Formats: sequence, structure tokens, C-alpha cells
Amino acid sequence: MNGDFRPARGSDVPAGPPADGLEPAAGVVPPAGRVRRAPAPLDDDSKLAIEIRGLVDRGEMDEARERFGELVAMHQRRATRIAYQYLRDAADADEAVQDAFVKVFSHITTYREAWPFEVWFTRILINGCLDRRKARGRRDRWFVGDEPTSADEARASAASPSGNPEHRLLARERRAKIAAAVDRLDGRQRTVFMLCHYGDCTPREVSAMTGMNESTVRVHLFRAARRLRTLLGGKP
Amino acid sequence: MSSRVRHLTEERLFDVYLAERAAEPVDPPAAEHLADCEACGTRYAELVSMMGNVRREGDAETDAIFTADRLRAQQLEIARRIALVGRPARVLSFPKRIVRRTITASSSRTAPRWIAAAAAAGLFVGVAVGASYQFRWGLSPYRTAAPFVASGSATPRTARLTPVATRGGGQADVAADDAFLSDLEIALDRPRTRELLAFDDFTPHVREIRDQR
Repeated sequence: MNGDFRPARGSDVPAGPPADGLEPAAGVVPPAGRVRRAPAPLDDDSKLAIEIRGLVDRGEMDEARERFGELVAMHQRRATRIAYQYLRDAADADEAVQDAFVKVFSHITTYREAWPFEVWFTRILINGCLDRRKARGRRDRWFVGDEPTSADEARASAASPSGNPEHRLLARERRAKIAAAVDRLDGRQRTVFMLCHYGDCTPREVSAMTGMNESTVRVHLFRAARRLRTLLGGKP
Repeated sequence: MSSRVRHLTEERLFDVYLAERAAEPVDPPAAEHLADCEACGTRYAELVSMMGNVRREGDAETDAIFTADRLRAQQLEIARRIALVGRPARVLSFPKRIVRRTITASSSRTAPRWIAAAAAAGLFVGVAVGASYQFRWGLSPYRTAAPFVASGSATPRTARLTPVATRGGGQADVAADDAFLSDLEIALDRPRTRELLAFDDFTPHVREIRDQR
């Protein structure tokens, strides 16, 4: 239950579903009660991704790189939020986001429009973050864990709208408490919560990203919220 | 009526929350119950508040760390990295100068080997020649005279011989010289130990017998 949603075999980049978009990628647990539905109209980012894929197929790499910059601008902030909340380290999150975008561009020819680009990209990002968490866990077993840099702390403190030092301190404590509570969630609960809460994904999208049943996603999400409320001092 | 009596479960409240967040239609009975039941409304408000706080704090923290400048720098870094994607791998060639230096270094490594061999051979030959020369010199009859000659003692020898050669060619002189040399030989041949002189006097010598003949 570590929350790893990559296919059992193959590369880090999840292959897209078949053309009908109803079956998950190989190795991913198929959603049990998934209802066959008509493909949704493509989002702007998915259209752009298809356009970039065409450019890469034709060998127009410079043009493809230029268009990819637009795609990066669309998803960068959201990706950074997810990665930071997942990793709780600015440098790690920065690298994870970069790696995810580079991986997406490298494998853009495998993108299939059956999945929204956001789902495909987020899955790549989450798998990268999971790898980093695992690596950090292994590292922390032998070395003293990294403390947040003072620069990061200073920036995080400055995020408080109030200039009052006491308010800043309280805000920092509140964030630390929330972060600790989220970190204590079970692997899948944490991933589902992150994706829904910080990634603005619907349970259906999370289901597509993780391969879990949509109702399972809802259950994980509900349990995560209940546990968070308990950990944060609310009613169980 | 039953919806008014039985409060919404936590799960249903959460479903309502998720539906509202995703701008999806809310389950009508649940929406109706929430509108009428104050207790459930309060619980729902607490849930929304808690989730909103968690979300707000997280977003504020991330946005404070990842400022616009940092995101811009990240974009540039991504652009730099994807510029390398799709290009053939470049084989790094070592600079020629370093390669040449390496080759020179390897050839210069062989040069000292020849020098060492030549030095060893020279040493061997030198020792051999020196040893043979010393051996020959050791056999030479002039081995003890050489330092004598070198110290200038050749002159007295010449001085001694020269008067013999230059003092006329008469028969008397030659006889006198022979007598002198004979006396010298006798003196030298005589035992130097005093106790043996008497025995020597009584002993006939070969030269005396030869002289008598």
C-alpha cells in the first residue's frame, strides 16, 4: 500500500489506453464497475498535446518544443503544488516537476487522446514523486533526514497575509500540523487526497490516473478526510 | 419525512462536498435535507471549512515558495532540457592536445627505459673493462714500480745507469764495475744475522770456486 500506481511492467511512462479509452493500461487494475461512456470532448491541453505529438512525428522538433512551452505554462503551477505537497521539499518538488515534463515530451508520441492530457501527465508526475519518496525513505534509513532549508521556511512564513510575527508563527505551526497530518495518511489515501485536493482532480480522474475503481477512490478520500479531521483536532 | 428524521451520514456529506467541488449535480434528497436540517448543515459547514483550510494553507505555502520568478526559472530549465531531447547522442571526443600529450607521455615513458638500459650497459662495460685492466695491471712487473716512477724515482735509476754508460768504454773500468757489483752482491747475499756470519765464512761459495777456475 505504498500508493504506487505505475504499471507492473514497462517504462515509467504509463501507456495510454486503447483507442476506445475504456480500458486501463496494461498492468493497471481494471476498474470493476466502470461504466462505458462516450468519450468526452478534448480539453485544450489535450488538443495541444496531440498537436505536439504530430509535430514530433513529422520531425518538426523546434516547433514542438515551442508549443510544449505553452503546455508547461498550463500545468506548471498545479504540478508544483502536487509535487510539493507530496514531497514537502522545494528542491525535490522542482526536480520532480521538471522530470515529469521532460518525460512527457520524450514520450509524447505514446500519448493517446483517449485520456485527458492532465490525467496522463499527473500520473507521470505522481509516479516520479513516489519514486523520490521511496528514495528518500531509503536514504533516511541511513542518514539524518533533510530539514527544510531556511530559505524555504522564510518564504513559507512570508506567505502569511499578516505582517504580525505572531500570526506568521501561528500560520507556520498550522501548516506544519496539516503537513504532518497529511503525511500520516495511508499511502493510497494520501495520493488520492493529494490529487483531489491539491490537484483539483475529480474522483473519476483520480480513478483514471490510479487505476482504482471510482467508488474505491471515494472511499479512500472519505477516510482520508475523516482521519485528517481527527488528526487536526476535529471530531472523529 | 424520513430525510428529516435521519441525519446524513459522513459519507453522504462528503459526497455532497465532492459534488459541489466538481460542480456536479448534488444528490437531490441530500441537498434537500441539508437545506432543512440545521445540524447536518452545521456538520457540512464544518467539513467544508476544514477542507478549505487545509487547501488554503497548502496553496499559500506552495505559492510562497514557488514564486513567479522560480516558476519562470523552472520553465527555462525545462526548455533547456527538452532542447536536448531527440538529438543524437554526442560522443565526447577528447581534445587533441590532451591525446597528443598522452601519446607523448607514453613515448617519453619508453625513453627513460632506453636511457636506463644504456646506463646499465655502460656501467657493466665500465666495470668489466676496469676489472680486466686491474687484473692485467696486477700481473704487471711494474706494479710496485709504477708508484715509484710516478713519484719521480726514475731519475735516480737513470742517474745510476748513466755513469756506467758514459764513463769511458775501457776494460779496466768494466772490471772495476763488475768487482763493485760483485761485492755488492756478496754484501747483499751475506746473512744479516750476526750469529750466522761465522758459518758463512766457513762455507765455500759457488762464485769463489768459479773465480778460482
